[in-house]
Amino acid sequence: MAEGRDESIKKLFDAKSAKVNTNRGEEYFADLYVKCQKRLGELKAMPATGGGVDLRKVLEEDGFERRDFLKWASATTAMLMLPASFTPLVAEAAEVMNRIPVVWIELSDCAGNSEALLRSDGPKIDEIVLDIISLEFHETLQAAAGHQAEKQLEEALELFRGKYILFVEGAIPLGIDGNFGTLGAKAETFKDHLLRLADGAAAVVAVGSCATYGGIPAAAPNPTDAVGVMDIVKGKPVINIPACPANPANIVGVVLHYALTGSVPELDSLLRPKFAFGYRIHDNCERRAHFDAGEYVEEWGDEGAKNNFCLYKMGCKGPMTFNNCSIIRYNESVNWPIGVGRGCIGCSEPDFWDKYAYERPMANAHIKAPTGGVERTVDQFGLGLLTAAGIGIGIHAAASVMAGKKNSDEKDA
Amino acid sequence: MKFDYKKIERMTPAMRIIHWANAICMIAAIITGLYIAHPYYQSFIAEGAVDKYVMAWNRWVHFISAIIFDVTSIVVVYLYFFSRFEKPYRKLIPNAKNVKEFGEVVLNLLTLNRRKRFDSTHSDSFNTTYFTIFHLLLFFMLFTGLQLYVHGLESGESSIGAWWPAFLHITTDWTIPVTGGTLMDVRIAHHITMWLIIVWIVFHIYYQIWRTIFWEEGDIAIVFGGSKFVKDKE
Ligand code: HEM
Ligand code: SF4
Repeated sequence: MAEGRDESIKKLFDAKSAKVNTNRGEEYFADLYVKCQKRLGELKAMPATGGGVDLRKVLEEDGFERRDFLKWASATTAMLMLPASFTPLVAEAAEVMNRIPVVWIELSDCAGNSEALLRSDGPKIDEIVLDIISLEFHETLQAAAGHQAEKQLEEALELFRGKYILFVEGAIPLGIDGNFGTLGAKAETFKDHLLRLADGAAAVVAVGSCATYGGIPAAAPNPTDAVGVMDIVKGKPVINIPACPANPANIVGVVLHYALTGSVPELDSLLRPKFAFGYRIHDNCERRAHFDAGEYVEEWGDEGAKNNFCLYKMGCKGPMTFNNCSIIRYNESVNWPIGVGRGCIGCSEPDFWDKYAYERPMANAHIKAPTGGVERTVDQFGLGLLTAAGIGIGIHAAASVMAGKKNSDEKDA
Repeated sequence: MKFDYKKIERMTPAMRIIHWANAICMIAAIITGLYIAHPYYQSFIAEGAVDKYVMAWNRWVHFISAIIFDVTSIVVVYLYFFSRFEKPYRKLIPNAKNVKEFGEVVLNLLTLNRRKRFDSTHSDSFNTTYFTIFHLLLFFMLFTGLQLYVHGLESGESSIGAWWPAFLHITTDWTIPVTGGTLMDVRIAHHITMWLIIVWIVFHIYYQIWRTIFWEEGDIAIVFGGSKFVKDKE
């Protein structure tokens, strides 16, 4: 008990040590290099699971040249905050990623993260790399259905016990004993399903904001009591890749990091990899100069909007959101929310739907009173307080004046 | 009936400087803080973004007043315990004497000065408690504000060294779980506390003027000249 308390007190004081350590010194990286080489050698010796697709061939068929792939590899190396000398290793790791079995499940979700991987204008290298990972089970993508699918899952769990990475998309409803969401003929609840699959996993990766913190299913009033993976799965490495949808580049980054080093990347206090969530959107935003200048879009489509002014007054939450989409963008740098002219809604932060996504500056947003009832903006609340104080003072002043001065001298006299 | 007035020294020059520094910084922090929250005027200056810097200046003024608050707060904490003549912490201990005095001062206010049964020569326990609330609110502003500030130092470096962001994380990270768990909660708390401070200020000014008028001891002069006058009966 006492230990638990110490732990929670300790946590209180290093809740978010966001320091991103990009340079750990030559010695560290030299060691890591040797370690990675060894690890890749081991992986190569292993048989490719799944279909054993060859990345080079797939890339060729999709019209990518070797050069494109190497460009991608060097960008990914930079994203993982590794020195440029690691580029060949990253390229190699991408080629042997199909040795790492992956089980992907969907719980309370919209399949948006899977969609983000699948529905780009043309497959990007990130997505192709994800395509060839050894996806042993993915309800949405696989051909099998019903009992057949269940059998496939059981086989995969058996065969790759202790080795597979479990990807979870979607929140876990806990209300009415978890019966808001059940799977299969035996009506296993999402919670039991997750716990059973997590048990045999090497690591659990929560993809998207719902799997991470409960996301939209957990938004007020959270009718199903939805929570995220890290609230349920204990005693396993959990990696969170929030955002709505999670950026395929970051998903690849985590798997690559695992393939390359055999370990999970460095995480922040919310279990998000620091390479992706160590920086604030606002600090790398292309509209930041307009923020500092006080040039804001005042309404959609106005002169400011045409001139790419800052979206702060349209409710941009970049100043309170940590994510790398202002650096790497989406779909291999095609664009990102602020780039297309709408504000950030803080989708990679906890409680984003209730606390970030209202598309107004916080001062104008309707915030629930602590009692849960009335919704008022912070400023209305403040002005209310001020008015109450003013009325009180007014009454007191008027009473004082009417009662007249009764000073202590008379009393003494 | 005749009586003399006796002069009582209440605030040293240092304390008065702190008071007015705080007052000016507070006005500056509120004006610029409200701008940061919701830029309420537009920069119509026909110049490129590089030359205007309107939000950046607002934030600069906000942070400078914050840093002045940092310094005055440390000095005030020191004075609470080691002040040369009035050690305010003594009035905060809830012993029978202080509780009774607190009640009497409240009654004095509520009975519109019909009843005044306490010694108004020195700072009474009601006043001291009220000031302490202010300093606690200001501390909360400092911690939440510095937490908001350290978001921008994610590289772990700063112009004055890596110790500064590290120090800020150690001293302010607790505000995240305490205010509700997200960075936005810290910001909401920072904003709402501003309103609490404004309400505090309004009553503070009213009460000081009211005392000056009704007690007839020149209380308002304390903060300008450093002393007030009490009637010396004889
Ligand atoms: C005590 C008087 C203070 C008042 C009245 C005040 C008020 C405010 C207000 C209203 C905001 C806007 C928050 C929002 O978005 O709604 C703000 C933002 C902020 N304040 Fe304060 N504040 C005070 C002290 C401080 C202190 C001591 C610091 C410490 C450095 C600080 C740092 C900040 C920061 C960093 C922001 C966010 C600015 C940004 O994101 O660009 N404030 N303040
Ligand atoms: S658009 Fe958003 S993230 Fe970009 S500078 Fe403005 S407030 Fe910051």
